[in-house]
Amino acid sequence: MKVFERLSRLDRRVIFLLVALAVIVPMVVPLNLPVDITKPVKRVYEMVESLPEGSVVLISTDYDPGSEAELYPATEAFIEHCFRRNLKIYLMGLWPAGSELGNIALNKIAQVYNKKYGEDFINIGYRPGGAVMLLSLGRNFGDVVKVDYQGIPVDSFPLGRKVKSAHDLALVMTFSAGDPGILHWIIYFHARYGVPICGATTAIMAPQQYPYLSSGQLVGLLGGLKGAAEYETLVNKRGRGLRGMDSQSIVHLLLVGFIALGNVILLYQRRRR
Amino acid sequence: MINIIGTWIAALLTLAIYSFLYKDNPFYKLAENIFVGVSAGYWAVVLWFDYAWPNLFEPLFKRGQWYNIFPIFIGLLMFAPLIPRISWMVRIPLTFTMGVAMAVSITQIVQGDIFPQLQATFLPLKGIPFFEAFSNFLIICGVISTLVYFYFSKEHKGALGLGAKIGIWFMMISFGASFGYTVMARVSLFIGRVYFLLHNWLGVI
Repeated sequence: MKVFERLSRLDRRVIFLLVALAVIVPMVVPLNLPVDITKPVKRVYEMVESLPEGSVVLISTDYDPGSEAELYPATEAFIEHCFRRNLKIYLMGLWPAGSELGNIALNKIAQVYNKKYGEDFINIGYRPGGAVMLLSLGRNFGDVVKVDYQGIPVDSFPLGRKVKSAHDLALVMTFSAGDPGILHWIIYFHARYGVPICGATTAIMAPQQYPYLSSGQLVGLLGGLKGAAEYETLVNKRGRGLRGMDSQSIVHLLLVGFIALGNVILLYQRRRR
Repeated sequence: MINIIGTWIAALLTLAIYSFLYKDNPFYKLAENIFVGVSAGYWAVVLWFDYAWPNLFEPLFKRGQWYNIFPIFIGLLMFAPLIPRISWMVRIPLTFTMGVAMAVSITQIVQGDIFPQLQATFLPLKGIPFFEAFSNFLIICGVISTLVYFYFSKEHKGALGLGAKIGIWFMMISFGASFGYTVMARVSLFIGRVYFLLHNWLGVI
């Protein structure tokens, strides 16, 4: 078969081009493919829904611009859900650029819902130290968090006076791209202080979190862009997550096609030998 | 204005990086070197302003916390290997770091990881819906057979060999799931860049 011979010598740049087209075309011409809601994502949504108004949620944006594509859409969707439910938000980051990225999302959504800094949300910025920081944070929140990201004493804000220890937090939501991240929150914060933990991770990290979901140490999980798209569906917000899922689905189909075709060609070549 | 310039620089650097897919070229090399340089500079600033200055030097110089000299001295010993005569002194900060890391992590890992995970494998097989029982059975089987695979004190023959083989199957399925997620992650990153180019730079979508 001449076609198989030709395909086996195909320049890989043709594949790159096809993948690029599979991403670009659905983005320009949206297909609006349906997104199924999985149990771990639904659990995050239900957890937020179950919190009484005025509860404090600690959001930790533990990622950097390298993972922004996967985690930023989830950050926006989650913050929007919290503000709709009139929850108070403490934002921080275990990664230096994380709190900055979280701050962009927080200020953007706060404007839409007329939320005030210091009353409805506070950004306490980058908190270095990983495990040691989390252990101290749980024990003496007030002593560790004295100023916000601009150096203003948190005690000067009504929300700042509300949280003195881990027990004043109703939920921790970590957007995690690695170390320190979700595992540290589970092992060093949840295990010692009992605060429920939800997470959003990059797709690469998602499979490692399933044992913690089944053990109940993690309440719910948004895995990668797919998790963000599911959460956007639940909160009825068409953001970057849903927009990217059309491209993601088409590329996956293309890749499955390439894998099947590659195997067929390999079998054909083996038989000929 | 500054945003427009920033967007253009980011867009051109993105295209320069992707140009490597065609073939290696000077634009790619330029973008790569800029990335390495900017990362090093960024981390130098973070380490100084978020770690060294607020924790060591600011308390020492501004609040008279004189005993901060000791951690500074111990930290400087990290550079001891540069002077062969005193290179052995690097063991002091290394031992200290390892000791603290062990002390912080051992108790918490046992309490927060090993025990709860072990507990999560004690699952009921009776008195629950069939599919739940089957799922629990798979978890128990997966844990035991994978542990059997990593038992090396006896040759993997007979029942032990069968257990190890089942363990390999469980691990292979797990690696497959991880690989699938990895592909999804890489495609997501590409989608993020394409979105940036089409939305922020060109304004097409």
